[in-house]
Amino acid sequence: MKSILKKGNLEYLTSLFISILASLLIGALIMMANSRSPLVGYGALITGAFGSTYSLATTFAKTVPLVLTGLATAISFRSGISNIGGEGQLYLGAFAAAYVGITFTNIPGFLGIALAILAGALVGGIYAFFPALLKVKYQVDEVITTIMLNTVATLFTGYLVNYPFASSQGKMGGTEMITESFRLSRLVRLSTLNTSIFFMGFIAIVIYYLMEKTSFGYDSKMVGQNSLFGRYGGIKDKKQMVVAMVISGALCGLAGVFEVIGVHYRFLQHISPGYAFDGMLIALIVKNNPIGVILMSIFFGALKTGSISMENAIGIPSELVSVIQAIIILFIAGETGFKNIYKNWRLKKLHQGKVGEENV
Amino acid sequence: MFKELFNLALLQHTIRTATPLILAALGGLLTQQAGILNIGMEGMILLGAFFGVVGSYFFGSSLAGVVLAASIGALVGLLFAFFVIDLKSDEFVIGIAINILAGGLTVFLLRSIFGVKGAFSSPKIISLPRLNFSFLDNITILDTIFNNHTVFIYISWILVILAYIYLYKTPYGFWLRASGEYPKALETAGISPKKMKYISSIACGILCGFSGVHLSLGYLTLFTENMSANRGFIALAAIIFGKANPIGTFFAALLFGFFDALGTRLQVVGIPSQFTQMIPYLATVFALLIVTKRQLAKANKNREVKGIEN
Amino acid sequence: MEEILIELRNISKQFPGVLANDNINLEIKKGEIHAIVGENGAGKSTLMNILYGLHEPTAGEIYFKGNPVRFTSPLDAIKLGIGMVHQHFMLVPSFTVAENIVLGIEPKRKKFLVDREKAIKETKELSQTYGLAVDPEIKVESLSVGIQQRVEILKALYKGADVLILDEPTAVLTPQETAELFKVIRKLVDELGKTIIIITHKLQEVLAISTRVSVMRQGKLVGTLDTKDANEHLLAEMMVGREVLFDKLEKKPTEKNEVLKVNGLRAKDNRGLLALKDISFSLKSGEILGIAGIEGNGQSELVEVLAGLRKKDGGEFYINGVEASDKSPREIRKLGIAHVPEDRLAMGLSTEASIAENMLMGSQYDEPYRMKGIHLNKLKIKEMSKKLIKEFDIRTPSEETLAGNLSGGNMQKVVIAREFSFNTPILIISQPTRGVDIGAIEFIHTQIIEKRNEGCAILLISAELDEIFRLSDRIMTIYEGRITGEFDAGQITRQEIGLYMTGKNMNSSEEGA
Repeated sequence: MKSILKKGNLEYLTSLFISILASLLIGALIMMANSRSPLVGYGALITGAFGSTYSLATTFAKTVPLVLTGLATAISFRSGISNIGGEGQLYLGAFAAAYVGITFTNIPGFLGIALAILAGALVGGIYAFFPALLKVKYQVDEVITTIMLNTVATLFTGYLVNYPFASSQGKMGGTEMITESFRLSRLVRLSTLNTSIFFMGFIAIVIYYLMEKTSFGYDSKMVGQNSLFGRYGGIKDKKQMVVAMVISGALCGLAGVFEVIGVHYRFLQHISPGYAFDGMLIALIVKNNPIGVILMSIFFGALKTGSISMENAIGIPSELVSVIQAIIILFIAGETGFKNIYKNWRLKKLHQGKVGEENV
Repeated sequence: MFKELFNLALLQHTIRTATPLILAALGGLLTQQAGILNIGMEGMILLGAFFGVVGSYFFGSSLAGVVLAASIGALVGLLFAFFVIDLKSDEFVIGIAINILAGGLTVFLLRSIFGVKGAFSSPKIISLPRLNFSFLDNITILDTIFNNHTVFIYISWILVILAYIYLYKTPYGFWLRASGEYPKALETAGISPKKMKYISSIACGILCGFSGVHLSLGYLTLFTENMSANRGFIALAAIIFGKANPIGTFFAALLFGFFDALGTRLQVVGIPSQFTQMIPYLATVFALLIVTKRQLAKANKNREVKGIEN
Repeated sequence: MEEILIELRNISKQFPGVLANDNINLEIKKGEIHAIVGENGAGKSTLMNILYGLHEPTAGEIYFKGNPVRFTSPLDAIKLGIGMVHQHFMLVPSFTVAENIVLGIEPKRKKFLVDREKAIKETKELSQTYGLAVDPEIKVESLSVGIQQRVEILKALYKGADVLILDEPTAVLTPQETAELFKVIRKLVDELGKTIIIITHKLQEVLAISTRVSVMRQGKLVGTLDTKDANEHLLAEMMVGREVLFDKLEKKPTEKNEVLKVNGLRAKDNRGLLALKDISFSLKSGEILGIAGIEGNGQSELVEVLAGLRKKDGGEFYINGVEASDKSPREIRKLGIAHVPEDRLAMGLSTEASIAENMLMGSQYDEPYRMKGIHLNKLKIKEMSKKLIKEFDIRTPSEETLAGNLSGGNMQKVVIAREFSFNTPILIISQPTRGVDIGAIEFIHTQIIEKRNEGCAILLISAELDEIFRLSDRIMTIYEGRITGEFDAGQITRQEIGLYMTGKNMNSSEEGA
């Protein structure tokens, strides 16, 4: 943990803190412009997110897909290949889990769960494999291909769920419910928090270990920073990128699996409200640091959960938090730029007096 | 069956669905030519659609809607440019941020201004005027293609030609393309590449604003959450498919509009539309593969020519 | 005739963390060829960018024909007739020659449209006037480097340049192209009354072409003198600030066994052209084999093939008798070749990673840094980094410092420390002291000799003849992908080597198309 508090990190943490504060301030201004009290609003948000067992449970329930997709983004971005296709991988993973849940109804529960998890991770990984292959083989820009493949996946699962796997109860856009024994059990009454959070915790630890403590993580990081340097040092850079992408896809697939076997118990046509994009924002904000992903996911989960209470308390629509989240990422993305502007401005001021004395 | 699907109405439908794609893609190709990959178009369109409704509703004129949407578009374009060009942020991160911001902001404002969830519609929203050339009324095919469209359809066609002339026939177009391909060359010629990038980004915002207005004030006068429905990404697909050339991009957008229209009609007849809807996205992946492979080959070939001269 | 055209007074330019120009005073006379020389990073290009309006000086004034002027953009400089030919050409590859030449001041028709015909016509006229033949309608991307430079010069002239700044114009040229360029420069000055400022670090060229020469060192202008009063030795001394006489390095006698054998090796460059044509040599333990040659004659490709980073096209090589020509970089490292690459920023390290992380590269799969085939032992890595930092005198606050925050010399020491620490029987060292300050050069040279004395076989590639002569036991010359000569050190003079490096000893009718 000591290494997190290095000088560079400390500087970054300060920027992050300022960015979040500034974004919340903008949120407060919006509330004030609507003549509502930001104190009451944010107060309600905090209580709504952490104030009771139920709210805590809801916050953590929201954290599960964010952590998984956030880590997925972090591992791919760090390896120098951008997986923007998490949403598509999530949908396919979710569908695969639902398929297992409505097809293999005769096997024992734990086996079913294991199978669903495996199937989802596999499908997500395979779906990420193709754009990765195009990237390393033909230098096809993976940003665009993964974006495009997102919609292909949502359309494809949309087809499946409306035609061959449409629910017999006439419910549009949903499959049949999965076998009861495959459902992860709920942990807190009324809340959707379920045992998938333990799976998530385990996965997070594995990914953290992989990224930070192993030669694989080291190779990934080096390839992401300078792939030629990596190749020169004996790393198989292309393979490294493809593997990172496949792991990333598998994680997104898992996020989908847990939505199905933990939350909805069936596949829904619009099962994700953009979890993978939120996860991506989270990873970008914390610069692909796995521990950062977990903390920021809790923060985002809390914002989402608490926003409902905020809305109830002061009548400000809960979507305000999406605005706040987007503003945080704008600040973070502009961090270096803002700093440079500030540095240049200081340099100019410094030079109005004396010239050339400060030779470094 | 075949006749039910492939008739003049399909053509008309194609033109309508393609127009927002054309408008947004024209904007996006300007930034693309200026060396910026803009994936924030999706959000820009959404904002345009929303503020079009706001302007039209409060000022009782569709023109006000257009002006408001275009102004907001310009503002977002400016914001995008500031982050990408001056702060040197990652263009794709800013694009994503704009999309998320637009998604949240429109829903937030929809609820705080109009007090509704999901969708807002009102007789007070004035739609865009439609044009009818009466001398074409009797010639069925021309009537279908050219008549009874909102003004933006005609504007989009004119803009395609203007964009082409601008990019390939005027000095400013040369500068814009140079700013994307090799900004330093432009800078040493005394023209600011930054300025050209800013201009392209702001123009993109405005055009995406138009695209959004066409969605919300064109045929249906209403705003719904997430109304842009991936059009920004299809526009991006059209740009890549059309190699950022206005003419090529226009036809790509038209083609994608056609598949969209066909999909809707298929659905009506009870055939899954998802596969036709997939076409633009899959086509883009393949187009990208082909384009990149060709570029690689071309680069190698060019170098060989150089080698011979040496 | 002695009219002073441009005067720079007390010019300073501060970049964040670097004072690139420090209180510079410089006069440019009309009709002269004024050379500005200095090492990499001496501030030559910055000064010229200020004169061309690309940078604004932090302090100081510019006078043009005695009047103070202020340049906020190149347009201001262009208006006064100052043109610049940059080291990296400022040409848009997909535009035609004519389109590039008129860029920024296109002739127009109907107010808004580019007059293409006129642009082509004017380009043709221009190229006839100055005797620089180009096809106006061909795309720049398909032209050779020499022709592209011609287009650059025409572009400046089209804008009405009377003063032409040439930034390292010969760096990318073949000797023939350089001779051609010098002819053009003389014509511009003698017949057309232009003034030329030429930036370079090649002293022979300075002496060959210029009328006056100014020397820069570490951001300061050391002095200006008439070229007829200058000689190579004097200029070199001014450039580096002290007599360039290094201490003699002590070479011990070593046991010499063949460790690397290269046999008829062929390879293509990035363009798919044959860059290595039948290279054969052998390298023995305890010797330094220097490869002398003008850059771009196959040295990079040779090194990359030997390091496993480039596929061979034919031939083979053996490391201690083991065929290694189709092995991966990792396998080759295992077989016993460590490699200091020519471009440390592109290949030698990651600027975003810490020194420790950079030190680990290449040993991340080995005990004790990796345990049980997966776990990285941070403690051992830290120990190793600290030890190397100390041994190689790397000036850094800690091993956690990002490599990108180090000076060029210290970065190079990181690379050298890492590669030397593998203790491989063979070392390939490419451009070991490029962009490195004098103190570090001395240190690095000593380290290299020490390695040799320990019995390591060293293949040294350098564009600096001084370096080759100082370190090598044997010298090979390379020209157009072929070994053109092989000599024991002390058997050959620089002048003779120069001939072999330019292929002059070979059939010269092949050249000059």
